[in-house]
Amino acid sequence: MLTKIASRNIWRSRKRSLIIIAAVSIGLWAGIFMMAFYNGMIEQRINSAITDELSHIQVHHPEFRKEYDIKYRLSEGRKVVETIRKDSKIKAVAGRVILKGMIASASGSSGITINGIMPEAEQVLTNLNGKIIKGNYFNPQKTNEIILSEKLSKKLKLNLNKKTILTFQDIDGNLASGAFRITAIYKTVNGPYDDSNVFVKITDIDSLAGIPNAINEIAILLKSNAELEEIQKKLKHKFPKTEVKNWMEISPELGLTISVGDQMVFIFMGIILLALAFGIVNTMMMAVLERTREIGMLLALGMNKFKIFMMILLETLFLIVAGCPVGILLAFVSIGITQLTGIDFSNFSEAYSSFGYSSIIYPSLTARQFGIIMLLVFITALFSALFPARRALKLNPAESLKK
Amino acid sequence: MKETVIDAHNLSKIYDEKTIPVYALNKVHLHISRGEFTAIKGPSGSGKTTLLNMIGGLDIPSEGFVEINGTNITELKGNELIDFRLNNIGFVFQSYNLIPVLTAKENIEFIMLLQKRSKQETEQRVLELLKEIGLEDKINKRPRELSGGQQQRVAVARALAPKPQFILADEPTANLDSVSAENLLDMMLKLNQEENMTFVFSTHDQRVINRARRVITLEDGKIVADTAPTSIIHKQIAKI
Repeated sequence: MLTKIASRNIWRSRKRSLIIIAAVSIGLWAGIFMMAFYNGMIEQRINSAITDELSHIQVHHPEFRKEYDIKYRLSEGRKVVETIRKDSKIKAVAGRVILKGMIASASGSSGITINGIMPEAEQVLTNLNGKIIKGNYFNPQKTNEIILSEKLSKKLKLNLNKKTILTFQDIDGNLASGAFRITAIYKTVNGPYDDSNVFVKITDIDSLAGIPNAINEIAILLKSNAELEEIQKKLKHKFPKTEVKNWMEISPELGLTISVGDQMVFIFMGIILLALAFGIVNTMMMAVLERTREIGMLLALGMNKFKIFMMILLETLFLIVAGCPVGILLAFVSIGITQLTGIDFSNFSEAYSSFGYSSIIYPSLTARQFGIIMLLVFITALFSALFPARRALKLNPAESLKK
Repeated sequence: MKETVIDAHNLSKIYDEKTIPVYALNKVHLHISRGEFTAIKGPSGSGKTTLLNMIGGLDIPSEGFVEINGTNITELKGNELIDFRLNNIGFVFQSYNLIPVLTAKENIEFIMLLQKRSKQETEQRVLELLKEIGLEDKINKRPRELSGGQQQRVAVARALAPKPQFILADEPTANLDSVSAENLLDMMLKLNQEENMTFVFSTHDQRVINRARRVITLEDGKIVADTAPTSIIHKQIAKI
């Protein structure tokens, strides 16, 4: 009977109920969509960091990452690469020579990271070839080719086929330099990365650096993110004299970005839920005040306070339940469409790129996140109903019946 | 000797109007026995509704106490008092106060469901009452689809449904036309005579006062008269 009264009561003031149902729908839609937007943005950032920059796991000499000194190279590095490649859970693996140095042109110079790469392996690992916007990938027949970013090429006023000088410290601490011809220009979504990374063939740089056939970084891409912990553990065990780090350990600022993103989502969710809570409190309070006489009559007739409380709570719940399907449908449709088309923020691409984000966002949402939003909406709704319900409990039947 | 249902002792309700006490009810003693058909009359502000609210456990006296069938209801608190009202007192209000979203049948059965009576018993009692008040054809009508008189009859049936000790009716005919008021009074008198149901009314309505077997007159919160009305006395004299 309580359910019957509560469900029928919500249609007594049709307009008001429709407003609160609309508020719940829009609140839910906004909450789900916003979380999907941030989730998509962060997921894209992580994916791009893993596939374009860091890979899942990197192996170095334990001292290498402290100062990026090339004397800390991986002895037997190429053998290690071959051993790792045999693991069926590994999608791609490549050895690199990483040098900190300078790139110079007639127009200026810039501090950079020189990535001496194995072209074929790197193609699978980071799809560098796919990021080329001008020119061609490394030609196996040619030497001293360099691929640099569009950003750097503009900064140094360099173009395809032009020569540039790379300067760095060799194994003995002497300055070494070499002239490289620009074979291609690449572009990723990460501005700072583009600003500071150039690619040359490992065979062109290792002898210049005085470390022929050596490597000081092994990057590993896994077939599945879920295998990360297991593979990392396995590699640590297999190569105890090396440092085996996963992408979160290599780039803690990325972890920070994720946590800041999460905080942002929760702040926005908090604002949406607060607005929803105010809407519900206002509506239910009006419903209680309008029905003071009726609630007084129910108390007089013998409906106890718990049942009155439950009646108000149930009314709120029904309003929420009525609003949820519309909100969920709206959210699924809008996420479905934008997942295909993406949300284009090209006008702000500079700003997005400077933080390493793509300017086209593809929202995505996990079932767990969806569940969390639903739960938060329900908790907010029920929590908001407590205040009007408490107000109803404070009514004095004799006084209420006079109204 | 008749069984006492309502026993009010030294009842006062005092409102402090900026330290000058105002007596809504002033040391009222009242005993009502089972089967009485009692009207409480008096001018506006004489304390009729206050007295009814005290007897019904809707208001707390400043002094004195009320016993219903030997239970001091003034000592009951919160849900204990609400439960007592549910099981012992039937209310009929001036403006019907039916639950607008429920049908006539649901309004009556609602109270019995609160008492956790079985569905079968509830169904049987509700149909019986609807027949008694002559509204068996309006079973699925909501209050807004019923006339004032019909709504008040449903309210009486609702008050009777849980088989209370007595029914308190606060100006039950005030919003009714004369035909509806007469019909309602006939119905309540019939219930009083056939089921020995105790009725206590507060009223201004002379028709109610004329039908009452006992009339209590309140003035300034005090009982100034407690008699049978002239019409009843005349009838009794005629019988003799």
